[in-house]
Amino acid sequence: MTETNKKEVIICRCEDVSEVEIKQAIEEGFTTINAIKKRLRTGMGLCQGRTCQKLVARIIAQETGKSMEEILLPTTRPPVRPIIMGAFEGEDQ
Amino acid sequence: MRKTAEIVVIGGGVIGTSIAYYLAKEGRDVVILEKGDLASESSGACDKAILMQSKKPGIHLELALKSAEIYKTLADELEYPIEYANDGGMIVIETEEELAVMKQFVKKQREIGLKVDLLDGKQARSIQPALAKHIIGATHSDQDAQVNPIYATLGFATSAKRLGVEIYQQTEVTGIKVESGAITAVETNRGQISTRNIVNCTGAYAPFLGRMVGINIPIRPRRGQIVISEPMPKLIKGDMLSAKYIAAKHNPDIVEKAKDKATQMGIGLSLGQSDSGNLLIGASREFVGYDKSTTYDALSAIIQNAIRIIPALRNINMIRNFAGLRPSTTDGLPILGGTELNGYYIAAGHEGDGIALAPITGQLMTELICHGKSSIDLSLFHISRFGDQKLKR
Repeated sequence: MTETNKKEVIICRCEDVSEVEIKQAIEEGFTTINAIKKRLRTGMGLCQGRTCQKLVARIIAQETGKSMEEILLPTTRPPVRPIIMGAFEGEDQ
Repeated sequence: MRKTAEIVVIGGGVIGTSIAYYLAKEGRDVVILEKGDLASESSGACDKAILMQSKKPGIHLELALKSAEIYKTLADELEYPIEYANDGGMIVIETEEELAVMKQFVKKQREIGLKVDLLDGKQARSIQPALAKHIIGATHSDQDAQVNPIYATLGFATSAKRLGVEIYQQTEVTGIKVESGAITAVETNRGQISTRNIVNCTGAYAPFLGRMVGINIPIRPRRGQIVISEPMPKLIKGDMLSAKYIAAKHNPDIVEKAKDKATQMGIGLSLGQSDSGNLLIGASREFVGYDKSTTYDALSAIIQNAIRIIPALRNINMIRNFAGLRPSTTDGLPILGGTELNGYYIAAGHEGDGIALAPITGQLMTELICHGKSSIDLSLFHISRFGDQKLKR
């Protein structure tokens, strides 16, 4: 793969974040999944990191030398997938 | 890690990074210690409002107005895209009782110098077309603004770094050494830093850092849950709150005496839309200790409350929810200033106003630390207003 092509490797599809940007953030000192998320919005999109989280973790491992087990995964919160808000109407309050 | 520092700022949220930035601007030698990541607690789990209308008329609102002025040029100063916008804010009124309360509130706000209008339902809907038909009125102020709280924190941190501040993340303070009435060092899980000055900016966690030196800091965590929607074209202009939220904020009694679940959880609308198009739909105000989990009950109540006011929300997807711990004090004001221990400063307890008040907090604390006094008198915010600071053992 050429250098130009590498810039085009998208890790977070929802928020359009590339591998190069993630590596830059790690260099700036953002070395956890949560920190990178705050810096670049990886995992903040529609899929909530279900696609990119493991890839981000792997890049962190590769760049920092940490093992995959050391890289803390962010808290998983509902919903599992997007849900229409009208579904809550009429619920007991 | 560094062995010494003139000033150690504990806490890498919006308050800590702001103070570190302004101290560095004054040429001070500063380090920031953060147990997690920057903005990993409340500064990264809140809404985006820089609201004037929600502040207590008085010194609290005066500080907020000064802070709002600083925000206008902050992105340029920090050279960081903090997503600042000055799109105004609205407090929606659903009942005659709320209208009566808001009329009084507006009168007091105007006396302090806030430009705020009282609108009828039709005028309110001309600004926010998505509002439900039953909304009888609203207050509106052009002085309310918006910012991305995470980027504000990262902006302060990035500029502070440029000015020489060293930031240690994943670095937890485990102890504070005091010898003959003076601070000598901060101990962390990564080693010790000698210092004479500490600024405790740890929000809801401030009491733990107080305990290390025998100071009782009366701050309680108050959980605020927020729901995030899928991104969409502009639906909400500026910030929106419900008068109910104001009532819950300033009259904790209402919440404690209430019989229905939603009021007990302190549910009141706070709504905004980020630059990315996601709606931030809040919020609850709950005293549940340090529990940061989200609950189905609050999620459901927040969404139903929001749909009542903005019916279009029923056809929009939620994609996530989160919770942050607002550092709350009994009088709703932050704790700012020194303590009985020389060199130990506190800037915490802003509850839901930390983002709005961060710039002015940074400036005034810097004046206080560098010159012993500040251009706005902070004595009303001093911890001594709560009586004896000594921790009862």
